[in-house]
Amino acid sequence: MKRRFFLQLLATGLSGLAFSPRKTGAAILKSPIGTNRLRPPGAVPEELFPGKCIRCGRCVEVCPYRSIIMLDIRYGIHAGTPFIEAENVPCYLCMKCVDVCPTGSLQRIRQPETRMGLAIINTFTCLAYEGITLCRTCYDKCPFVEKAIRLEQLKPVIDEQHCTGCGICTNACPVTTADGKKAVNIEPIYASDKVTP
Amino acid sequence: MTQTRRDFIKRAAALSAASYVSMNLPIDKSNIAKAEEGVAWHRGSCRLCGVGCRVELGVKDGTPIGLRGVSESRTNFGYVCMKGMHFWKCMRHPDRLTKPLYREKKTDKFKEISWEQALDIAATKFAEAHKAGGGKAVAYYGSGQALTEETYFFQKVMRGGLQSNNVEGNPRLCMASAVGGYLTSFGADEPIGGYSDIEKAHCFFIIGSNTAEAHPVLFRRIMRRKLDNPNDVKVINVDPRVSQTSRIADKHLQFKPGTDLALLNGMANVIIQEKLYDEGFVTTYTSFKKGKGEESNFDEYAAQVAKYTPEMVAKTCGDAFTADDVREVARWFATSKGTLSLWTMGLNQRKQGVWANNLMHNLHILTGQLMKDGADSLSLTGQPNACGGVREGGGLCHILPGHRPIEVEKLRNQVETAWGVPAGRIPEKPGMHTMAMFSAVNEGAIKAIWINCTSPVQSLPNCTLYNKGMDREDVFIVCTDIFHTLTTKKANLVLPTAFHFEKTGVYGCTERRSQLTRKAIDSPGDARPEVWIIREWAKKLAEKMNDPVITQCIKPFEGLEEGYALPKAIWDEYSQKLTANRDNDLRGATYKVLEQMADGVQWPAPTEEYALTGGTVKKFVKGRDPMADSESKNDLPYQFYGPAHPDRKLWIWQREQADPEEIPDAEYPFYLSTGRIIDHWHTMSMTGRVPELLRANPYAYVEVNPKDAAKLGIKPGDMVEVKSRRGVNLLPAKVYEGPIEGMVFVYWHDQHEDRMINKVTKDAYDPGSKEPEFKICAVQVKRVSGPQALTPYIAN
Repeated sequence: MKRRFFLQLLATGLSGLAFSPRKTGAAILKSPIGTNRLRPPGAVPEELFPGKCIRCGRCVEVCPYRSIIMLDIRYGIHAGTPFIEAENVPCYLCMKCVDVCPTGSLQRIRQPETRMGLAIINTFTCLAYEGITLCRTCYDKCPFVEKAIRLEQLKPVIDEQHCTGCGICTNACPVTTADGKKAVNIEPIYASDKVTP
Repeated sequence: MTQTRRDFIKRAAALSAASYVSMNLPIDKSNIAKAEEGVAWHRGSCRLCGVGCRVELGVKDGTPIGLRGVSESRTNFGYVCMKGMHFWKCMRHPDRLTKPLYREKKTDKFKEISWEQALDIAATKFAEAHKAGGGKAVAYYGSGQALTEETYFFQKVMRGGLQSNNVEGNPRLCMASAVGGYLTSFGADEPIGGYSDIEKAHCFFIIGSNTAEAHPVLFRRIMRRKLDNPNDVKVINVDPRVSQTSRIADKHLQFKPGTDLALLNGMANVIIQEKLYDEGFVTTYTSFKKGKGEESNFDEYAAQVAKYTPEMVAKTCGDAFTADDVREVARWFATSKGTLSLWTMGLNQRKQGVWANNLMHNLHILTGQLMKDGADSLSLTGQPNACGGVREGGGLCHILPGHRPIEVEKLRNQVETAWGVPAGRIPEKPGMHTMAMFSAVNEGAIKAIWINCTSPVQSLPNCTLYNKGMDREDVFIVCTDIFHTLTTKKANLVLPTAFHFEKTGVYGCTERRSQLTRKAIDSPGDARPEVWIIREWAKKLAEKMNDPVITQCIKPFEGLEEGYALPKAIWDEYSQKLTANRDNDLRGATYKVLEQMADGVQWPAPTEEYALTGGTVKKFVKGRDPMADSESKNDLPYQFYGPAHPDRKLWIWQREQADPEEIPDAEYPFYLSTGRIIDHWHTMSMTGRVPELLRANPYAYVEVNPKDAAKLGIKPGDMVEVKSRRGVNLLPAKVYEGPIEGMVFVYWHDQHEDRMINKVTKDAYDPGSKEPEFKICAVQVKRVSGPQALTPYIAN
């Protein structure tokens, strides 16, 4: 790629951003956390996270399942922070990352108390709710058997008292909708806790 | 700048448009309707487990697009499981074998050859082997997943053509003990009732079966029955491992592996002591037997089980339940309005498999929990056509088509006459059973073996030992399959076959039900149906061996089109000539009838008219089973016309508790048991290629009881070594209140050499049924390291 062309593209992109009607300009600051996009176990609220994490990468390094990846430059101020894409590789709750975090961005926490998010079943796309296919993959894969996910009349039901948001169910779910989501998705509802007034 | 203002605005507009794309587009219902246009739905049976779900394959422009259940079917009522829903994705999978592959030496690379060459090689090698060692030097190892037409045709050519009774199949590894049990207790193979009893049962006795994972669609019916009648229906689960099936159980009895014979005897003891047995039924319909068939009587039997007091049973079984639990379970069993027992490999894959089956039947005979609605002793089959093809079609070394034991000359002659081959053509001695067959391969006594639609390299117990034989250069191996498996990797010749829905044929499921699947799509590449392969191979074989009798075997099928006419002719020959007046009379179940039925026909079905009603729901009951009427010898309502019991009675056997072959000791302190998981089918060559299923369970793991895990320092996900006297596995651990303390459990589907649990299992087998004891052996368990990222492995 020629230098000139590269600069042109860059300029176009930047000005496009400025003109964009959806405030894409804030992308640099915008948190990448969302559906199935999670912080590792024990993470402080997202409001604090990018300020507290020093991007040392130890959690990424220690994760035996390569569940934790490091965000790259496209994520603005969040570049370098740890991140889990639940539908690709979920968190298997080995709790190694919380032990190595030097800053307390990931706080020491016991496995069942982990709250990375909450699994939400999309009853419109879930095969079991559709009523024809006897699918209970999420129930079978849940590490907290009969607690976080139980079956009621053959349909899976999530209990927020026990769901850690690890995403193992999301990863295993056989349904992938057109937007890349699953029939059971992890919503990081705890990440938005407000700490500052 | 070369960019004009106009260009810039255009690009900016495009960018903002792109950002809108992520918005939800309104769903137009008419679009969905259009997607269905041009889709033809073809009826057939599910390719996977033994439940026999009726499904429809959607085909658009010759390409499969989806699968759905048939709601009128009496097996699944429209439901399918995850495996069933996804197996159609194998049809157009890029890994499909499309050309015959050959290599002279097993160390060479495969090269593609033509069908002409391939069949010529196969015929030459079998002819050479036959010349060298006669019928004993050739073998066929088939499958409970092959269509009935295929199994029947293969064994016809082997027996009538090559004069070899070395006809076996993988049902030896899963069903043989059930066959032995049915024949010795009821005098006739296969269950008396069927699935329709589920909706009428008041007590379920589920032993040695994880129905929830292995037969999920059937489990839905059991669960529905329980959930709709929570107080009237009792569910008893008896298993060393708490499984998904236990979830609906009122009582779960956990016991030390291998002690269930004591428990079943103990229940019989309680039933006799508390006078809960059906005296009228026992006096009218029952004989008592001991040992190898010596006469006995009720008092002797009562005395034999008397030592199995509930207290003694609880102690023998490992004190995981109390004596009162035994009493309560026995009372539920005996006094319910209808008790339905269900079991699979937990009883069958045992050194005492036949005995365990006998003891199960004993309880039903004693309490008269048979023949009435909601009561049956129902062994669930694992494979879709183990009953239909292999047990009925003559796919085992000791039986001929139509449930004919091979030793009986009269029955052999009937078959020879039907085939038009000279009398005495079929050897009178049974061939080698599976374990003997692969031992003979090890010794080089079998020179040519045809392995169809199964992967013994992975599925035999203690497989490392038997794999050595399959590596021998002097053993010629032909494999017919749709994908590469670990077994095709040891073959000289690999022949690509048509998959389900790419050929026509019949599957017979657990409850004596035969269902037709018609060809709906073409096979990819040069893959051909097995029936065509057998015919063309036999034709060349006849030439090379210069044997007109082989030609006679294939004569009725000459020149027929292989997609429909050929299997139809084979089915007609089998059903009309060989099942006539046998207990599995299928004369009414012609293709014409099967095509009309939403869910097939249950035999006996002697006429088309009767078959169109669905066939026989309850065997042996006058008025419900045409053969009970036609074979009737007296005024009693039940007629036990089964071929194995000349006294036309049900037999109660005296069977003692007997230990498994290998019991844990100081050196190998844990029990190991193996089993299935809902998302995978057998050796995973199909389900492992479906991403949705593989993702759910990418590799096998070992389940460890939390108490054992604490002692061994095993944490969830740790890598654990499971080692027996025969082999070793390295698997991730799941710490789970499943297996009883002192036992570990491993899934057997994984093809990776580190996680192939049959390297560890024991190859001891039942002396009667010759079925190996996959379920119990002794192992060491050791933590090796912390969690590791693993990658799934599928042989290709």
